[in-house]
Amino acid sequence: MMHFGYSLSPFGHDESAWRTAASGDPSAFEALLSQVLQAERAGFDFVLLRDGEARRPTDALSPLATPFEPTMLVSALSTRAKWIGFLAAAATSQHEPYNLARRFSSLDLISHGRAGWIVLGSGDSTRDREYVDVVDGLWDSWEEDAFVYDKADGRFFRPEKMHVLDHKREHFSVRGPLNVNRSPQGKPVLAGLLAGAVDSVAVSSAELIVVDDGPILPDLMASLDALGRSRSEVRIMLDIRRWPEDPMAAADLFERRSASSAADGFVLSPPSTACFSHFTEAVVPELEKRNLIRPEHSGSTLRDHLGLPVPVHPAMPERAS
Amino acid sequence: MNGRKMRLGAFLMAGGHHISAWRHPDAFAPAGSDIDHFITLARIAERGKFDMVFIEDAAAIRERNPDKASQAARSTSFEPLSLLAALAVNTSHIGLVATASTSYNEPYGLARTFAALDQLSGGRAGWNLVTSASDLEAENFASAGLRPHAERYERAEEFADAALALWDSVGDGAYLPGGAGSAFADPSRLDPVHHRGKHFSVDGILESPRSPQGRPIMVQAGASDTGKELAARTADVVFAASQTIAEAQAYYADVKSRLGKYGRQPDDIRIMPGISPIVAGTEAEARAKYRQLQELIPDAVGVALLASYLSIGDLSAYPVDGPLPDIPQTQAMQSRQQLIVDLGRRENLSIRDLARHFAGARGHWQVIGTPAEIADAMEERFRLGAADGFNVMPPLFPSGLEDFVALVIPELQRRGLFRQDYEGRTLRANLGVPAPASRHSLRA
Repeated sequence: MMHFGYSLSPFGHDESAWRTAASGDPSAFEALLSQVLQAERAGFDFVLLRDGEARRPTDALSPLATPFEPTMLVSALSTRAKWIGFLAAAATSQHEPYNLARRFSSLDLISHGRAGWIVLGSGDSTRDREYVDVVDGLWDSWEEDAFVYDKADGRFFRPEKMHVLDHKREHFSVRGPLNVNRSPQGKPVLAGLLAGAVDSVAVSSAELIVVDDGPILPDLMASLDALGRSRSEVRIMLDIRRWPEDPMAAADLFERRSASSAADGFVLSPPSTACFSHFTEAVVPELEKRNLIRPEHSGSTLRDHLGLPVPVHPAMPERAS
Repeated sequence: MNGRKMRLGAFLMAGGHHISAWRHPDAFAPAGSDIDHFITLARIAERGKFDMVFIEDAAAIRERNPDKASQAARSTSFEPLSLLAALAVNTSHIGLVATASTSYNEPYGLARTFAALDQLSGGRAGWNLVTSASDLEAENFASAGLRPHAERYERAEEFADAALALWDSVGDGAYLPGGAGSAFADPSRLDPVHHRGKHFSVDGILESPRSPQGRPIMVQAGASDTGKELAARTADVVFAASQTIAEAQAYYADVKSRLGKYGRQPDDIRIMPGISPIVAGTEAEARAKYRQLQELIPDAVGVALLASYLSIGDLSAYPVDGPLPDIPQTQAMQSRQQLIVDLGRRENLSIRDLARHFAGARGHWQVIGTPAEIADAMEERFRLGAADGFNVMPPLFPSGLEDFVALVIPELQRRGLFRQDYEGRTLRANLGVPAPASRHSLRA
């Protein structure tokens, strides 16, 4: 069984896809939602929202961009698509870590544990690693059983289960705690997109790594090994932009790639939305026959879908021992 | 009868505005982290034809002492913008106003996020601009500490200008639906921002169509002189906290009198003080509801909340049955502090009295009674130059909001004071405040 993700865009990932788009407004929320529901019905584990590699438009509008800031779109979509997970890109250069940690914790509550953050780094890997440490630390502000809601005693939470971060290092000074409850899946899933080179933040902390079709895979595996990261804690997905139109040939390609590479699955970034519709209608049934995708899943969180472990609060083993 | 109508906001908050709402037997204690609870509240408010729902915010927990904090339900909540994005696609007419700070955001990111809310809701977004006054927030962003009041407002002024320019950076019709042959966008309808100021450098355009309501509604609640000036220049809606009708009238006249110098008309801005209504079929029932809530307030919680409204660290050294000590004026929320001190002196209240009073209505105007009594009180302030509408703060959710919609709204409608149905699909249309002209609509 492989994992499948879908990179959502209004028209597709080809610059000129908008020219042949169906009538109506493919950028509208309802049109984007219907794409998400299509992916959900096909058994995809998650939808992925890119964010222009953290660039901001200066004087032109791009047909590749979604006209909704990705985290806001995820929040809205997750109330209308009840099962599929969501990964949203957000740049460390564009958000304060406290604000970003809050936003994603909120998304995880709103989606009932189906949110993940794609870390778009700033290029300064020391700063980015510290940034991720702050966010990760804020996500441990509350233990799993901190909120007891004891009406009779007037105790909303157990004060000893709230943790003040008090982070003070080179780039950030953040007291905490986070003012959002602990995530329903422990923590939102941390993800990275690798294009062309192995990025140190993704390798050291991401639980889901999407790599550009192939060549850097051996480098990535070596880097994960060097850091002592267990293979079971990381999902590696290949970004696939094109595939044969013939369903059998397409299924052959996915089957071959899943057998021959170290990847756990695929993220589809099709040239047009029509290509994706064709994939779900014609190729997915063939993949089902070959046991590479399943339309029904048992779990409910993004971690369940990806088979990723639920992070345990650092204070828990301490208490247990 | 005068055709002027009240505007109403539903100020949403977890289990209710009362500090001990979560302990009430009817309360669903985890309400603050339950999205379905908020969707339900927004739909109740929409059924009642409220102009908007409103979410307050602080980018930190609200009480430093863990023991005190743990006795109240106010330490965690949803981040407001993602919360409203979820409400946007589960409602159809009601406005969605989120609080966000100019001290701990930057203009591009914030303008972009509100533009997304505006698109998701079809033109129902509003931004309650705050400058953030607490040390606990400052400590989550930098070690330098809370900025002085004047500097916070200087940054806020520049922030608002940059955000407004960004919302104007993409004109009507900039995205071309044209299909093959034409271009994706019309560059002549783009107006890139090149802002260089003391606090920000902002370049670029938003990747979003122009707002269906021209731009998001601007809301403010600042009651200091600088706050009122910023509101007079930029706000469409002003929230206020006034206890007496005289205070409310003075505030109302003051803000409206400042509009002229910015080329605005008095009717361009809606002043909506808070009201904490406790309504029931009879006055005795309403009083009983109130008593039941008040009895649930632990002294430690009420006094800590009072101390935070006074912007002082601690009041626990003073006898809870005695009067307020002299309070030094702080950098933080100057106007709220004055309001509390004045009330304590005027009515000779003890620290516990004040604590319980503010825990109930949090500095806002509280009215306890029958639907007719509550409508009378609202009508008086509406007709006598104290309010254009109200931000309604029910003590308990959802029942307090359901009661207001079932009992008070029909009474206001019968009196011709409130709409029977929405005037339009955007928040701006329903508030009836003028839309800014697109720089590009003139070129069409």
